Amino acid sequence: MAGFLRTEAGKGLALSAPASLYVGLLVAAPLGILVAYSFWTQTYVEIDKTLTWANYLEAATDPLVRHLMLRSILIAGAVTAATVALAYPIAYFIAFRTHKKTLWLLLITIPFWSSYLLRVFSWKLILGFNGVMNSALISMGLITEPLTFLLYNEFAVVLTLAHAWAPFAILPIYVSLQKIDRSLLEAATDLGLTKLERFIRVTLPLTVPGIIAASLIIFIPTVGDYVTPSLVGGSQGKMVANLIQVQFGPANNWPLGATLSLVAMASVGFVAILFVVLATALGRRIR
Amino acid sequence: MTTQNIIEISGVEKRFGTFTAVRDLNLTLKEGEFFSLLGPSGCGKTTALRMIAGFQDHDAGTIRIGGQDMEHIPANKRPTNMVFQSYAIFPHLNVGDNVAFGLRKLKLGKAETEERVAEALEMVELGGLQSRKATELSGGQRQRVALARALVMRPKVLLLDEPLSALDKNLREAMQFEMRRLQQKLGITFVMVTHDQYEAMTMSDRIGVMFKGQLKQVDKPEVLYARPCSQEVAAFIGGMNFLDAAVTGEMNGKLHADVRGFGPLSIDVNPNVARRGPQLLAGIRPEQLEISAQKPDGYDGYLQGTVTNAAFYGENVHYHVTADGLPQPIAVSVPNYFHTVDHKQGDPVWLGVQNASVIDLGAREA
Repeated sequence: MAGFLRTEAGKGLALSAPASLYVGLLVAAPLGILVAYSFWTQTYVEIDKTLTWANYLEAATDPLVRHLMLRSILIAGAVTAATVALAYPIAYFIAFRTHKKTLWLLLITIPFWSSYLLRVFSWKLILGFNGVMNSALISMGLITEPLTFLLYNEFAVVLTLAHAWAPFAILPIYVSLQKIDRSLLEAATDLGLTKLERFIRVTLPLTVPGIIAASLIIFIPTVGDYVTPSLVGGSQGKMVANLIQVQFGPANNWPLGATLSLVAMASVGFVAILFVVLATALGRRIR
Repeated sequence: MTTQNIIEISGVEKRFGTFTAVRDLNLTLKEGEFFSLLGPSGCGKTTALRMIAGFQDHDAGTIRIGGQDMEHIPANKRPTNMVFQSYAIFPHLNVGDNVAFGLRKLKLGKAETEERVAEALEMVELGGLQSRKATELSGGQRQRVALARALVMRPKVLLLDEPLSALDKNLREAMQFEMRRLQQKLGITFVMVTHDQYEAMTMSDRIGVMFKGQLKQVDKPEVLYARPCSQEVAAFIGGMNFLDAAVTGEMNGKLHADVRGFGPLSIDVNPNVARRGPQLLAGIRPEQLEISAQKPDGYDGYLQGTVTNAAFYGENVHYHVTADGLPQPIAVSVPNYFHTVDHKQGDPVWLGVQNASVIDLGAREA
């Protein structure tokens, strides 16, 4: 035993054992259980362990599932686009326009010092019927009746998440901007480019990896988010995760819940890979 | 054929806060000239180059390129192109796209762009490597791509910021000749910044030596070497023995002086000398001294001393010789003819020097 641990292979196995154990117990095993459940059936209080495609058939044919899945992906896409678009200028400012980088990076993480739930609730206070936004607009005389389209819809979900995810987008984009050799920008200027052309032909393609990283970090968890939609999404802001939660909770149909989780996972994976391929190809086209 | 002035710089100054990086820079460069700005790091030479390129504004004075005042002309509109010290090769583009980078802006059409790229790559001996990835290039190849990318724009002036400092010694020497050949073939004015005196001397038509933001001397390499204007310029270019001398008289452009260690010598007045003082500083290049075990015949000044150090350098042998009354040992360099080190440490030797080998350097600097 001690002899085996001194060999290259033994050392490798020993060193990777904690991680393997961790991943095995906390990722692979639950995933295996999920896959198993997805082929079973709920019969009132019992689980029928006969293997069947019935759940997948239901997931594929039920218009509600399709509708919620599509809406989740669209909302997540909108959240990702909004967050990256808002984060890029901030990251650009920190990387190129200020010497107080540490201070700015610290300021950006400040929202994280409070609980995520608190931040979502704050948005309810801001966007609500008698919320900050409506009161302000009314007192300024811009509107007479409170706006009702602010809260309990997709817009509220996108706004809340775009704010919550901002640091996750700013940091990878900042890193990729920071890595750009400043002489590359001078070279582009030297070769006759204006600042805008230089941004499009040098800065943007060189930050594609950062944009991809930011997008994936935001898109993947957003598709599966259920806290925000249930708090600020209302009925039209519901997403697939809310449906999954219902299966594991009130509806007590774990097998269908498991199936929906796996379908959601596969859809997210597919869209994410498609996005990476497209973004990389687009970045390469800029010459 | 009259050659036009391509760059005229007058009274240019650049300050960073309280620090003056470049002061009262005056310089006129001719079309087709290879000019080097030489100086130690921090002397302001790169700042001067960046002001010509337009990456830095100047606080005073004027810079004219091709007769046009560059005051309000941004870097991207100037008829100059630059080879950066880091080469600044775009990592997301292949070699062809790197070279075509500036041409694409000119919208020349696909055929002409490709033709000019191919021609430029051919010129730097990278023909056919258009599709090679930028990340797969060696240091020497990166340097050539940077050169091609700048030259393909057909600039009036090519600016080079320490272009060879990232290369190893053999490649650097090969590139020195190649860049010189390229410059002569194209007839474009090259302005190079370097801290390497040999690089500057082998490549340039003229060299400007800068210290502490000031241009001290502008001359051909051989004049700079034979008639440096001051002690600091002399010390920066090549080896030099500095000896105090007392002037006893001056006649027909000759200074009669008692040179410490060597006795009375007759020294040509150096017209480049910037500063005179009561004391004269004489300079003697190590390779201009004769070293011998017996007193050699036919020299104007002699010194008897002891070898304190002998070092074999390959192409030559270096000795240090001390004598009574000399504050520092005298450096002597002898060509290596017979692969022997003739004098050992502790050997008594004679040094001989001709009048013509002694350089008048004006006043000693503090």
